[in-house]
Amino acid sequence: MMSNVVVVDNGGGLIKAGIGGERDPTCVVPNCTARPSSSKKWLVADQLLSPSEDLTSATLRRPFDRGHLINPDLQSSVWAHLFTNLLKINPASSSLLLTEPLFALPSIQHAVDEIIFEELNFRALFVADSPSLVHLYEASRRPYGLVSKAQCSLVVDCGFSFTHAAPVLQNFTLNYGVKRLDLGGKALTNYLKELVSYRSVNVMDESFIMDDVKEKLCFVSLDVQRDLKIARRPGKDNLYRCSYVLPDGITHMRGFVKDTNEAKRYLALHENEAPFLAGGKDYVELQDGSDNPKDKRNIDLTKTEFSLTNERFLVPEMIFRPADLGMNQAGLAECIVRAVDSCHSHLHPALYESIILTGGSTLFPRFAQRLEMELRPLVPDEYQVKITTQEDPILGVWRGGSLLASSPDFEAMCVTKAEYEELGSARCHRRFFH
Amino acid sequence: MDEEMSSSLRRMSMRTRKVAPKMAAALASSDNRAQAMLARLEALENDNAGLETVQVDDDDEVSFDDDDQAYQKKQSKSTKRKTRQAKALENAKKAPRTFLELLQEANLESLPPHVPSYSRAAVGPPSSTARRHFCTVCGFSGSYTCVQCGMRFCSIRCQTIHTDTRCLKFVA
Repeated sequence: MMSNVVVVDNGGGLIKAGIGGERDPTCVVPNCTARPSSSKKWLVADQLLSPSEDLTSATLRRPFDRGHLINPDLQSSVWAHLFTNLLKINPASSSLLLTEPLFALPSIQHAVDEIIFEELNFRALFVADSPSLVHLYEASRRPYGLVSKAQCSLVVDCGFSFTHAAPVLQNFTLNYGVKRLDLGGKALTNYLKELVSYRSVNVMDESFIMDDVKEKLCFVSLDVQRDLKIARRPGKDNLYRCSYVLPDGITHMRGFVKDTNEAKRYLALHENEAPFLAGGKDYVELQDGSDNPKDKRNIDLTKTEFSLTNERFLVPEMIFRPADLGMNQAGLAECIVRAVDSCHSHLHPALYESIILTGGSTLFPRFAQRLEMELRPLVPDEYQVKITTQEDPILGVWRGGSLLASSPDFEAMCVTKAEYEELGSARCHRRFFH
Repeated sequence: MDEEMSSSLRRMSMRTRKVAPKMAAALASSDNRAQAMLARLEALENDNAGLETVQVDDDDEVSFDDDDQAYQKKQSKSTKRKTRQAKALENAKKAPRTFLELLQEANLESLPPHVPSYSRAAVGPPSSTARRHFCTVCGFSGSYTCVQCGMRFCSIRCQTIHTDTRCLKFVA
């Protein structure tokens, strides 16, 4: 009875759900419904991941807007599907640990409580915020590390809808110190969509494909001016040019990177440039040798693929310089500095030394490196800057939740259904210190 | 055949010329440029490209086609099935409000100044106002501003592409 805790990290992009105490979530599914242009049926969550579904030009509906729940009805149907078909649990006999975005509005909290207790009938509920869970997980992973000794960390959560820099002290998020940057993976994908649609192929309706393009091809530049110059070179000297093949609906249903070696050419650039160009030539020969599959694919090649050059690093660049896009917000490095500055000065050295990166958008190659480069000049000399990356930034929050759910105190921290019925939604939030 | 092509092209350009003065008036002032900028930023949070406003959560409509006629047909079909009023009522009930509406409703400004809230957690403007500009056509650093719409370009070549394809052709 007591072991049955369901942990749900309810993100704007992906729901990570599983049973508390386990290492990995049972399922990681998109938190949305979509309808392919060819059918009238809305596909939910895991159905979107099946390879047989043709999701080109699908219409999307998400329960989240700007990181907050706006459509409780849709969310409740996604959850119902999740709990009955994917996790196969009985809510009446299980507790739920749910993550909530920071600064959720009271009206949204009420709506969530209502769904959990009245529609889904969970036995008990605990609402957590993600930075504290990430802190908990990292502290438990390295019991002798600074995070667990100083009991504080600065969690930088760069997710789907927005980016937070949140100081955590003794497992509590210091909400007066949290700073938010209104940019996340969704905005990046949309930006990439816009660029590609204007420059080569109209992909404005292809959210799923462009997500894939972004994940596979985008990276963070360490020197934008230099990279722009390289991206301008013609032909094979251009280390950043890379093609992505769009699905044609006949031979392949998913898009793919045309040549993964070509896509990875930028990685070797730092060591030295010269041997790399030779590698580029190898690639040419390889291409000439294997012309046949190319012919088979399609006669009109220009229509099914597009190539990216500077878009590959200019898109993630936005997180570091939102001003370039016309946003009146400071970049990520400054966001971190402001979050730290709003805490007590005794915490500053410890916070700078225990920056934890989490969230799917930190998966861009070289993200941490670039962040350190930008952060170092902004931080006082006497403080060290240390950025820790999580081994799986998407699951970091969930693993923290799983850990919390398996702790012996968990049941005592929950609000039970009986308490909710007696005291209403207000009870929940007094309990969770929100 | 050739003539037909050219005539259709001419017709296209006629249309843009008809639209352009209106747009030019709307976009000439820097304030409107700022508005266009905001609209672009807003678009970054859309789930479905631009068309979201056309068919917010309408189950009966199949997604938008490039073909205008097909779209109109579908629309007329769906209006036949339900009266407009009933549909509007149903939509109003169903349509989730945007987060910004919810935010306004929550009235966070009324909180005492020491309470952290959503609006106070925003990171705020950058310390340096220096802004890099990228060419909207090719992506490289764009040193020139289009005098009509304020978008950036880097060379004559890109300027031509910009004026031909984009300048004053978007809806602010």
